[in-house]
Amino acid sequence: MGLIQRMAEEAGVWTISMGNAADRMAHIKPPRALLVKFARGSMFGEPGNVKRQRRIILDALAALQTMTEPGTIRELPYKWKQPDPE
Amino acid sequence: MPIDLSEFKPAYQKWVEESLPDFRAGNMKEIVKKYPFIVPKDIPWKAYKGQPSDQTFALVTSGGLYLKQSQPPFDTASIHGDTSFREIPKTVRQQDLGIAHAHYDHSLAEQDINIIFPVQRFIELENEGMIGKLADTNYSFSYVNDAVTLVAETLPKLISRIKTAGVDVLLLVPV
Repeated sequence: MGLIQRMAEEAGVWTISMGNAADRMAHIKPPRALLVKFARGSMFGEPGNVKRQRRIILDALAALQTMTEPGTIRELPYKWKQPDPE
Repeated sequence: MPIDLSEFKPAYQKWVEESLPDFRAGNMKEIVKKYPFIVPKDIPWKAYKGQPSDQTFALVTSGGLYLKQSQPPFDTASIHGDTSFREIPKTVRQQDLGIAHAHYDHSLAEQDINIIFPVQRFIELENEGMIGKLADTNYSFSYVNDAVTLVAETLPKLISRIKTAGVDVLLLVPV
């Protein structure tokens, strides 16, 4: 996915990616990324947790508008099966 | 800077030869440890402009999604992985999707595909005017090791399609 993101951004498409492993992401060097504390296969949280899925997408939209440094990785605070922080 | 495959190519060939026994035995940790990941020196960047409410978004996942009725599943047996992608329409329903990917637990995504491919959430944001629109076509890859074919053949095709579709923003969701 790192190569896809890289080639798309080079082609003039804004990109943002999800990730759950800071060490892997440091190698991939995505232009913009969000880091979550969830396991593989569930980057937007628990099945059926619509509110959380939506919130993470809104975080991605905010990141798009506020990240100004190439390679910014923003860690999100959400924890599996625990309520969202205020 | 375009991706330089000259160092990767021989390293990958060597990795394939050395990793086949581990791959066949399912020792995924071993083969990942030895994989010659491409580590880019620079970070491509296009400064963001405008508003999400005026823009077209598309999703790309590596979750191995395909349309059960009309598309072949991905190759999950080859050490090279599968360098192809599937086009998934925004109108897709959970029951239309199969998952062909041998290297992650897809039991949760089978309950709710939005945790790796949040089409329904994006359609809601489109209906509320929070984004311009979700593109009519979104994309899934599966497990890929053969970065040579991916970079040289598959990605130019993908990028040409997303540009033709007028996609402004790509959200990438690995598994």
